[in-house]
Amino acid sequence: MTRQLALPIQPPPEPTLDNFVPGANAELLARLRALAAGQHADAVLYLWGAPGSGRSHLLRACAGTGVQVADDVERLDDAGQVALFHAINRARESGGTVLAAGARPPAQLPLREDLRSRLAWGLVYEVRALTDDERGLYLLGEAARRGLRLSDDVAEYLLAHVRRDVASLGAILDHLDRTSLELRRPVTLPLVREALRDLQP
Amino acid sequence: MQSLWDACLRRLEQELPAQQFNTWIRPLVMESVPGEPNTLVLAAPNRFVLELVRERFAPRIERLAAEAAGRELSLRLVLARLEAVPPRPEEPRVSAVQPVALDRARLNRLFTFDSFVTGKANQLARAAAIQVAENPGISYNPLFIYGGVGLGKTHLLQAIGNHLAERRPGAKLRYTHAEQYVTDVVRAYQQKSFDEFKRYYHSLDLLLIDDIQFFSNKGRTQEEFFYAFNALVEAHKQIVISCDTYPKEIAGMEERLISRFGWGLTVAIEPPELEMRVAIVLKKAEVEGAQISEEIAFFIAKNIRSNVRELEGALKKVLAFARFTGRDMTLEMAKEALRDILHVANRQISVDGIQKTVAEYFKIRIADMHSKKRSRNVARPRQVAMSLAKDLTPMSLPEIGEAFGNRDHTTVLHACRTISTLRKKDTVLNRDYLVLEQVLKG
Repeated sequence: MTRQLALPIQPPPEPTLDNFVPGANAELLARLRALAAGQHADAVLYLWGAPGSGRSHLLRACAGTGVQVADDVERLDDAGQVALFHAINRARESGGTVLAAGARPPAQLPLREDLRSRLAWGLVYEVRALTDDERGLYLLGEAARRGLRLSDDVAEYLLAHVRRDVASLGAILDHLDRTSLELRRPVTLPLVREALRDLQP
Repeated sequence: MQSLWDACLRRLEQELPAQQFNTWIRPLVMESVPGEPNTLVLAAPNRFVLELVRERFAPRIERLAAEAAGRELSLRLVLARLEAVPPRPEEPRVSAVQPVALDRARLNRLFTFDSFVTGKANQLARAAAIQVAENPGISYNPLFIYGGVGLGKTHLLQAIGNHLAERRPGAKLRYTHAEQYVTDVVRAYQQKSFDEFKRYYHSLDLLLIDDIQFFSNKGRTQEEFFYAFNALVEAHKQIVISCDTYPKEIAGMEERLISRFGWGLTVAIEPPELEMRVAIVLKKAEVEGAQISEEIAFFIAKNIRSNVRELEGALKKVLAFARFTGRDMTLEMAKEALRDILHVANRQISVDGIQKTVAEYFKIRIADMHSKKRSRNVARPRQVAMSLAKDLTPMSLPEIGEAFGNRDHTTVLHACRTISTLRKKDTVLNRDYLVLEQVLKG
């Protein structure tokens, strides 16, 4: 079978607040829209969630609007912690906001106590993962954006067989898109099986 | 009797910090009991206020009442009948306070003595801070305030500055975080502007330096600060220092500095106890222009124990959630709002936990949960605990009976039925039960 070389014609979409699938995060999203519009209510806003929950997407979306952000705070070294500590103090003095995110709620962060307690000073939100129904909708929407047509059974199969966080689903779609182009076959169940086999180590 | 209680109220209002008075004393309602001329009967709106007033204020109230009456009076505290609770006065809504720009002294005007919530944990530090703000350079020099993070050290330092700035507008003040001071020393060194640096710091009337533990192992900074310290103290200018520990415990600090830190007065700020945490939450809510019930304040205070900063965050979360969802300020709502912070998913409830919590709530010993004593004051709480164990754990009734001093399962069954019947008639007991259930479920 001849494979056609797939050109990278579809760059990943810029993360924005509009292309974030809200799921159960409506309040958080409204808060971030206000923040991006310049409403700096507190010196710090902290998001936490499992990898793939979408917190980095949200941070990057807000960074584009000039908000100061800090991701993966649990991995900050001493100097990084000092920097974030000062950024929060400065934000408090000048009426700005630092948007920070990590994998765990503030109480469980392995950070300097004075920084850890500051992260819990303003509003804290868990970025809630999507439900399977919401993931199904997300898959179909993202596929359509790439010009792929997914049947329901393909969507179902994917949700049952791959990691279901938004980042992984996006990556799988990209892979299916490429495979479909290379093999010049539509995205059917057999193609999906084949493509997933390619991904196995 | 009412005029007598009014007289007591006036005295208490003078004696106590405002938020303590408003939280604990103002809700008390005097009840007239015609047959008892020598008893002052005060009704508290709930068990929580009642217990606290009994513990903290009863002797003082009794004394004041006796003074006002000119004869010995005894005090009886009762729970208010539900309909007797006076409606909360409508208070004007204050819009959320905007952050205030700092002036050259780096003072934030929001940090004042008035906005500082006082309790047992910090009253000594507050008193010393006021003393110093009133008589800078004379009373205690330096004033050294130490305690854990988020307990209000920065607030007190800034309050001293704001107080002095108001009383002596011309005074030269400076608030600085220790890390900023370190940076300034380095910069002065690089730019060869040490003379200017020295002149500035040695000319201050009041130097407030926060988190001095950050001087640890910074030799050059410590040396500079040593000179500044000596110059200021000699000129009777005030220095106030905060730290996360007491002087002798600071690691990497020169001995001569440590000994100087002890020249004036060293005071601690302790973590706030439950009652103070409740008062803090209520006070912050007031500042935010929001009204929350004591029940919600109690829930927040019970679950957030670490420090004031995190209490503030938790309250903000509840208010934001209520605004966003448009829901009423109920305990259920508050619990939902705090899930993001507390993250206690399906906490396992144990019978030990139930016994401990119930015993604490009714102020009896945990041992009474297992004892054979049948007096009402221990038997009733024990029955409440058994009933909660049946409702909240998957344990069988024989297992529950065994956990309560090897009682028979029919005893457990009887307890559950008794409590269920009582809850329909006795609103106070019903409320106690619901509160306990909520506390246990987290």
